[in-house]
This record gives sequence, structure tokens and C-alpha cells, in this order.
Amino acid sequence: MEVVEDASSDTTISGKEGSCNISVQNICYTVRERVGPWWDVQSYYNKWTRQILRNVSFYMESGQIMAILGNSGSGKTTLLDAISGRIGSKGTLLGDVYVNGSQLKKEQFQDCFSYVLQHDSLLSYLTIRETLTYTALLALQKHSKDAIKKKVDSVMAELSLTHSADTVIGGRVFNGISSGERRRVSIAAQLIQDPKIILLDEPTTGLDAMTANHIVLLLSELARKDRIVIISIHQPRSELFRIFDKIAIMSCGELVFCGNPQEMITFFDDCGYECPEHSNPFDFFVDLTSVDTRTKAREMETYSRVHTIASAYKDSNQFQNTLQLMEASKKSKVKQSIPFKQKEAPSELSKLFVLFRRTVRNLSRNKSGIIMRLSQNLIFGLFIAFFLIRFKNDVLEGALQDRIGVIYQCLGGTGYTGLLNAVALFPALRAISDQESKDGLYQKWHMLLAYIFHIVPFSILSVVIFGAFIYWTVGLHPELTRFGCFIAITIPPHLMGELLALAVLGLVNNPNIVNAGVALLNIAGILVGSGLLRSLQEMPRVFQLLSYVTYQRYCCELLVVNEFYDLNFTCGGLSNLTGPTSQCPYTKGTDFIESIYPGATSRVTFDFLMLYAFVPAMIIGCVISFKFRDILMRR
Amino acid sequence: MPWEWNKGSETATMTNLNIRVSSGQMLAVIGNSGCGRTTLLDIITCKDEGGKIKSGQILINGKLSTKHLVKKCVAHVRQDDQLLPHLTVRETLSFIAKLRLPKSYSDQQRQKRVEDVIAELRLRQCANTKVGNEYTRGVSGGERRRVSIAVQLLWNPGILILDEPTSGLDSFTAHNLVITLSRLARGNRLVLLSIHQPRSDIFQLFDLVLLLSSGATIYSGTAKDMVQYFTSIGYPCPRYSNPADFYVDLTSIDQRTREQEMECLERTKSLSDIFQQKVKDFDDFLWKAQDENRELTSSETSVSVQTPTKDKVITIGKHEKDELPKGIHQFSVLLNRHVSNDLRDLTTLIIHGAEAVLMALLIGFLYYGQGANPLSIQDTVALLFMKGSLTPFAVVLDVVAKCHSERAMLYHELEDGLYSITPYFFAKVIGELPEHFAFVVFYSVPIYWLANLNPLPENFLMNFLLMWLVVYCSRTMALWMSALFPTLQISSFLSNAIFTASYLTGGFIIRLDNLWTVPFWISFVSFMRWSFAGLMQVQFTDTTYKVQLQNITLTIPGELIVESMEMDAYPLYASFLTLIGISAGFLLLYYLSLRFIKQKSSQDW
Repeated sequence: MEVVEDASSDTTISGKEGSCNISVQNICYTVRERVGPWWDVQSYYNKWTRQILRNVSFYMESGQIMAILGNSGSGKTTLLDAISGRIGSKGTLLGDVYVNGSQLKKEQFQDCFSYVLQHDSLLSYLTIRETLTYTALLALQKHSKDAIKKKVDSVMAELSLTHSADTVIGGRVFNGISSGERRRVSIAAQLIQDPKIILLDEPTTGLDAMTANHIVLLLSELARKDRIVIISIHQPRSELFRIFDKIAIMSCGELVFCGNPQEMITFFDDCGYECPEHSNPFDFFVDLTSVDTRTKAREMETYSRVHTIASAYKDSNQFQNTLQLMEASKKSKVKQSIPFKQKEAPSELSKLFVLFRRTVRNLSRNKSGIIMRLSQNLIFGLFIAFFLIRFKNDVLEGALQDRIGVIYQCLGGTGYTGLLNAVALFPALRAISDQESKDGLYQKWHMLLAYIFHIVPFSILSVVIFGAFIYWTVGLHPELTRFGCFIAITIPPHLMGELLALAVLGLVNNPNIVNAGVALLNIAGILVGSGLLRSLQEMPRVFQLLSYVTYQRYCCELLVVNEFYDLNFTCGGLSNLTGPTSQCPYTKGTDFIESIYPGATSRVTFDFLMLYAFVPAMIIGCVISFKFRDILMRR
Repeated sequence: MPWEWNKGSETATMTNLNIRVSSGQMLAVIGNSGCGRTTLLDIITCKDEGGKIKSGQILINGKLSTKHLVKKCVAHVRQDDQLLPHLTVRETLSFIAKLRLPKSYSDQQRQKRVEDVIAELRLRQCANTKVGNEYTRGVSGGERRRVSIAVQLLWNPGILILDEPTSGLDSFTAHNLVITLSRLARGNRLVLLSIHQPRSDIFQLFDLVLLLSSGATIYSGTAKDMVQYFTSIGYPCPRYSNPADFYVDLTSIDQRTREQEMECLERTKSLSDIFQQKVKDFDDFLWKAQDENRELTSSETSVSVQTPTKDKVITIGKHEKDELPKGIHQFSVLLNRHVSNDLRDLTTLIIHGAEAVLMALLIGFLYYGQGANPLSIQDTVALLFMKGSLTPFAVVLDVVAKCHSERAMLYHELEDGLYSITPYFFAKVIGELPEHFAFVVFYSVPIYWLANLNPLPENFLMNFLLMWLVVYCSRTMALWMSALFPTLQISSFLSNAIFTASYLTGGFIIRLDNLWTVPFWISFVSFMRWSFAGLMQVQFTDTTYKVQLQNITLTIPGELIVESMEMDAYPLYASFLTLIGISAGFLLLYYLSLRFIKQKSSQDW
């Protein structure tokens, strides 16, 4: 095999300005797992310790690109997760990472390394330039506009994205840029922060061969510009052999070999395994170091082979050399500072503002999303109107019953449409915030708040359309001020439905479960709080107290007062006929209010205040839920 | 098995393709993305996804291929994995073995086959792990891929078609898989696989190679002659590159700039022309040298030349003799699989159980009627309506979500002819019953007791039956809706609409006689109206209520209350019969939707 030795892979520590080195020492990672599934009780209660990474050590310098090879389950991704500080606290991580000779604390990992995940999560309605500009605004707040523009342009040029800079990224529903371009945008978003060390998990998976090669070549160019690039890679092609400065092969959580291509060939030659002429050295060596579990005998044989190779590496010159380099960098007199990513912690407010602008820009191009938001309530209103047509004014013909029915529907229905919006549109944004918060760009709740702010105008508009239609069609109290009040009262339930769903989405990943769960939660709130289905006075004490913390209580009280106050009905064609002998318990709306909500007419202002107080309270609830999500995801 | 197809098309999707593969051979279709590999496989497996065969035909054993024939002898491994998430790998394969292996196999033989396939695809380590999906942890992506391949390998098909079998697999497993496939091919079977980037060692295992670029044939012939062919037309392969990589790159379309794209298209066009010329000229030579017959016909003539059948054993025959399990057997296996999958899903069971119990406790305590203060009339009426109309909504949402998560798998398994609609329908409907029964018990019994409804045992039983029926109506409606519409969103939106319509015409929210003609007629099929009427009658008939009004105690007979809600128009048995009728109707519609609507899924969240 012909290998061109690369000049940048020579083994002296270069003292150049801006260069850096990383040494990873004895990384071990173990998790405790249950042996069997839950229905197999006996094995479920047994736990065993599984070692995923075993004493992994390597050393790299600026200008180098390293490829980590290995079969599935060999620990490639776990190693990258561990170095980048993305690993959960489920297992135990031992070992040290040194950058420029100084040890890195676990919390600093994220600030030092950029990590590009296997799956790109990007907002589908933004152009490439916008995506990068918003990322830059989030990361480099203090830079001037021109500086940010220059930075974005230079990053796009570096990843040859300039020609499609103004193309929309696209999603599953509509086409945008190609998958290779998407991958490059993800990489570009990381480059904005000027990281010195970039980790990439399987950057070529899912791309066709040509695009994959192109990406790897781009990455090696990035590395030449004084960066360290570490990628895990799956089935690299033989042309790439000479591109990598270092190749690490992992098997069963162990680093079987790590060194430059030439060293790899000689090392395996010395072990007695010569790479045949016409095969891809990557494939050959990976096959050589993998464990075949098809039969017990093969398993033993291959396992012992892997073991021999691994111990040969531990004794080899390369490994001793690596250890020396690590020591040298630790002991070097002139220690350079740790090259953290560029981050001028912009103020929380400006982060929020940037995120807000980004979500608005994204939604503004999403026509179907906007139409859905605005029309859902109206469709619901059409539905009610279809069945009811118009209120009667006679109690015997159901004047009270029908009005209560519509009030109930306004309360329950608007809440439900809010829930549907959140469940349909938020999970995509949540995925992005999960990823970007790990990059340290912002916190998850920043994205949440930006989302909440950008839906408010749509919610109001949607309720106004719905209200204007239903109010005058079915014939609620025909007074303009009351119409205004009606709108003002129906906005909070719509918002609350969405906020409640958001809060639950923070804790539960599956949107289908959230859909059913929050729908029930809304129903439960109506049952306890509204007093329409169960009179509040006769409920058990606990529920009476509980009803004070449901927004439905205040909302319903207000809607009933707004409609029934000073409204008179007839009873069998006669008006003002009350009394125990009459078939109609109430012909005066005011009496009716007194019977279900005693004293409600006098506390309208209080109810309004309470109702609107629920919105900020629930927003705080959402923020807490997303703070909690941080903790959940760290586990 | 002689097999021949001949295909010409006016569009650029696939032009002028003519190839013949016999059993014992492995054909690899290679080419860059967008070259028409998947289209080709779709054509062979008779899946007309959007495109239309303009001219040409596909022959299997000299017979024109039909859907039926394809189902019988072609196994198709698709690119996306569709598996039940809560079964373990071994269970998944055992169920398929029960459905797919001929009746003559004994249980031990089936189990042996499963174990063989597990060992073959190196799945032993994860054999007892759940398959999993995006929300539940299970086996890794590569392992899931191998399970999908194992499912098809299991039944030893005559023709095995694999769409990108090696993508997502590590090189070692990929290599082993292709060795396995080539061994299968040697055993008088035909293996056809599409692959976009074969490694050199994998490439050497192929018998025949078909290199496509934007639908045109660039090369088709034996793998070992490919380099020779390209060298002869002036494109030698550099010494250290993988020939597959080199020639795929040569023929791929670079879309980065307009000029490059035109240039690539030009080159591809000329290459395919050269190939056509070459094959025409050297027709005899190729045939003789490789004992292989390839002929190109122009798209106009498009009638394939029948070559004499010369193969000895026809693999299809074997399958026609051994009957596959039918009807009752399929049903019992499917039922078993369905119930196992549901029972293993602890999280969902807990969530659904909690939904039922918490709502029951909430409603029960809200309308607490034990002890000194019995429920008032209005409250009892409200409770009776709500019981049957609020919580089933969650059932509807759950059922729709679940059916949609299984929809893609159902589609593929039906296409593969693993089982037919009728056994699936019965297995699904009966498999849902235990969960349904548990839900109704957990939900309706606590409410009945806490609210202290009519304490006579027969009234309790009637009440329970009515609740059972109304929840069942919601469930069957949800089943129908999710079989009828292709996306989760449309299904849940429209089942929501039907639910709300039934709810509004239930007679509680809006008075029945305030409904105008159309909704009034709708109210006859509103399951909530009938359950409400039934529950009212069960509760109030033959009881009296004492109402205290300003020191006067009135005694109101229960019938009057029923009358005041206009719920006495039909006798109690009418409610029962109508509810049974409505759920049977929904079931019938569900069956018809399964039968006549393709269960293709286009879910996008």
C-alpha cells in the first residue's frame, strides 16, 4: 500500500502561536444495566456492570485530523460523547482530558469542543445565510453587524456554501438543499464559534459516496487551518486513507491502534497481518480487529486476536511515544491557555430577542402553519354553529341549557386547539433547542420563551376570528362591550391550552402521549373548576379548594356573568313567571348566576385579574419544566 | 430460474433495460443516488409507485410476473425497518417463522431455523433485547437493520431482493452479510441487491453487476469483466482504487454547478450509447463467454426475446407444494403477537391505566354521593352524560396514535403476503378487547361506587354494559379513522370531529329538539346520545327523588326526569341494540377500509 507521509503529522510539539494539543488519558466508562427486560423478573433485578470504554488514551495536535474506526458497538460514539462532555451521568466516567497541558474540568468540555451530531436539526424555513447569521448572533453578541456578516461569509466560503446561501433549508414536506449541504450547514454552525477542536459523529453516514468524500476533504482542509478534527467514520473509502493524519481503531471499547497511516501498515505488518494488494486497508484492519459472534469458537478466536493486537499496540513504540508527548505537553514550561470557543456571553435578553426573531422568521415562511394556527378555532366554531344555529329565548326550549353548552365548548374547545398547535409545531423546535443548548448557545427555556412570545399574536388573532363568528352567529348577548369582554375572556384558555401542552412536552418526549394526557388534563380542569358540570357548592371540600387553582373556574364564571347578567327569558311563552310551582327554575339571568356562582357579579375585576394571572404563572411553570428537562437529559 | 425483463420508458427514469438472471446468481445494482436503483426494484416487485411501465415486461420462469407470483417467491428487504417495537429479536423472528414457514415444519424445526438465522446475522447478543423505536430504547440501528433482513431470510425465498442491505451496517457485518447472500445464491436462489458503495471485497463476491446512471445502463455483465470492459472503452481503473467506487464516481451526476451537471449527463449518455453498441456487436461473445444472455432491444420493440428454459429446479415449485399456514392459524399467531407486543409495553400500559384510574377517581370524588348527601338530580344527569363522553376521548387519541405507528408495518407485511386482511382484522379487534375491558373496569366501576348510583346489581350490570359499549364505539371509530386516512394528523382531526359531533348531538349540551333537521338525524347515530338515554333510563326508572324547595318536599318520579331530558322516546333495549349496531357498523367500515385502502403511511412527526 502506497502511503504519502504527511508533513503535519511529525511528532514534535510545534510552538506556533495559536496551535494547541489535546491529550486524552485513560478514559474509562462503565454503566450498570439491568440484565433482562422487565417481564423476566428474575433477571430484571440483577444488574451487571458493562465497560463501554477501556483505558482510551491518545494525543493530537493542531492541524491534524483523526478518524476513529470500528464496528458498531465498539464505542466510537461513546468516546466522542465522553470527550465532548455530552455523556449522561448514567455511568461512571474516569480519566482525564488535557488541552495544552492543562487539565480540563468536566464542565469546561462543552466550552472547549464543538460537537456535530449525526442528525442535523435545522429550522426548515430559514435560508443557509439566515441560519448561520442567527447562530452567529447568539454566539458572538458583542461583535458588530459587519463583523458578524464577515464571519458568516467566511464560514460559508470555507464550506463552499456561498452559491446556495439564500436557498431555504427545507424539510420533509418540501425540498430545499441537499443532504450534503445540510451536513455542511451543521458544521458551519459550529465553526462560527471558532473552535480549535471539532468532534464529528459519523459525518458521512447517509450521504452518497461522492458527497461523503467531499465532506471528509473539507474537514481535512479545516484541520490544516490549525484545528484539531476528530471524526468517527463508517466504511471510509480507500482514497481517504492518505487524508487522515491519525487513524484510531476501536474494538470492544478498547483503542486497538492509533497512529498515522504508514505506522498502521507497519504495525499490522509486524503483527503478521499484511494488507492484501487490492483491498481497502480501512476495511481490512477493521475486520481484523472485530469480534465475530456467530459461533462460540469463532468468538473466542477473534477475541483473542483482538487482545493480542491491543497488547502489541500497548507495547509498541507509537504508544510509548504518545505517552511521552503527553508528559511533555503537561510539563512544558510555557503553557498556552486553553482555547475556549468564542463566546461573549450575550445578555439573556438579547439572546431571547435573537431567538424570537429567528422563530418569527421561520414561521413567517410556513404558510400552512400560519393557516392552521388561525383557522383551527374558526373551524371549531363552524362546527358548533352548525349544530346549534341560534339560541332560543325560552327556558322550556333549552335557553339555559344551550347557552351553558356553548360556554362550555368555548372553554374546552379553544384550549384543545391550543394543545393541538403546540403538539404539532413545537417538537421540531424542541429538538433544535436540545441540541443548541448543549452547544452552550443558550438555555432550553430561552427557546421556549421565544416560542411563547411569537405565538401570542396568532393566538389572539385566532380567538378574535373565532369569537366574532360564534358570538354573532349563535346570538350571544348583543352588546358590543360584552362582545369585547367575551373575546378577552376566551383568549386565556386558548393560550393556557398551548402553555400546558408545552409544559408537559418539556417532560414527555412522545407527542402522542402528550396529546392524550393534556386533553384529559383540560377535561379534568373543566370538571373541577367550571361548575357547569358539577355545582361548585356541592363538591367535596377538597375539590372546592382545588377549583381555585384552575383557570377554568375564573374563565367560566366570567363567561356566565358576561352572558347572563340582566338577561331575561320566557317560560313557556310567558315572561317573569317564577316560583316553585313553575316549570322554570329561573327566568332572570341574574338569578341563575346567583344560583351557580353566588356573588359572582361583584367580583368581575378580581376574576379577570386571576384569569390573566394564570398566563404568566403558567409561563413560569413551562420554564421550570424545561429547567427540569435539562436535569432529565443530563441523566 | 430464468428471469427476464425488458423495459423501456419515455421518461428518464429507466430506459432500455434488458437483463437476464438465473438462479444461483447474485446481481448487484450499483450506481449513485438517483440512478434508479429503487425504481428498478419497485418495478420488479410490481409496486407501481407513481411511475408506469410504458413498455417491456418482466418474466419470472418465463411467466409474466404478477403481484400474486411476486408475493409467492420474492422476498423484499426494504430500506426502512418496520418492526413491532416491544418484542424481542427472537420473538419477532419466531412469530414470522410461524406465519411464513410451511405447515409441514414442526415447532422444533421452526425454532431451529430461527436460531440459525440469528447466528447467521450475528444477532445472538441481542436476541433477547427489545427491538425498540425512536421513543423506546432497543437494539442499535445496525442490529435493527439485520433483524429486518433476518425476517426475510427466514422463509428461504426463491428470489431475494434487498434494497441497500448494507447501509448502516459496519463493514465486517456487511461483508459477512454479502457472503451469506452469495452462499444463498449458490443454493439455487436468485439474489438481487441494490447498493451504492460496495467495498472492494464485497464487489468481488458479486456474480453480475448492473451499473446504472440516471436510469440508463452503463454496464451489465459479470463483476470480474467490468474493469476489462471499461478499459476497452478507454476508462481504465487506477491501480489502487476500488473499481466499483471508481466507475460509480465516473457515472455520477455532479449537481453542484450547472456546467458540471451538463458535462456529467453528456458523459453518461455517451457511455450508455457505447454500451448498447458494444453489446449489440458482441452479443454472441458475451453470451458464450459467460454462459449468460443479455440483449438490448430498443424501447419501441420492447418485447423480450424468450430464451429457452434450461434450468433444472424451479424454486417456486417447492413453495407451491408446501402450503403456508392459513386462516385460523394466521389469526392465532397474529393475536399472540399483538397481545405480546402490547403487554411488553410497560410505559404505555401504565400511562393508559393511570389515565383511566385518575379520571375515574377525579369524577368519582367530584360526584361523591356516599353517605348523608346523595347527588342532586342535575348532578346525576350531568355525571351520566359525562361519564360516557369525556374520557373515551383519550381512548380515541391513543388508538389513532397506536394504529398509525403500526400502519407502515401492516402495509409491508400485507404486500409481502405474510397474512391476509381477515385474520389481521380479527386478531386486531380481539387483541384490543382485554385492554378495552380493563379500561372500562378501571374507569367505570370506581365512579359507580363513589357516586353511589342505583345500588341494585342488575342496574349496575346494565350501566357497566352501556359504558362498555359506548367506549367500544369510540374505539372502533378510531380504528376505522386510522385505517381510512394516511396521516396521523388527518385521522386524529377527523376522529376528533366525529367524536365532537356525537358529543354535541348527545342531548345534554344542546337539547335534542333544538337541533335542526341535519344534526337531528345525526343524533340517531350519535353513540353518546344512545348511551346517555340508556344510562338515564337505567338510573331513574322505578326510583323517586325527593327535592327540598323552600320547606316544601316534592317527590319527583324518576321517569319524569328522563322525560324532561327527552330521553324516553325509545325503550332501553333500543339503546343497547343501537349501540351494538353502531359499533358493528364502525367495525365493518374498518374492515372495508383495511381491505380497499392501501395502508401506506406518510406520517411526518
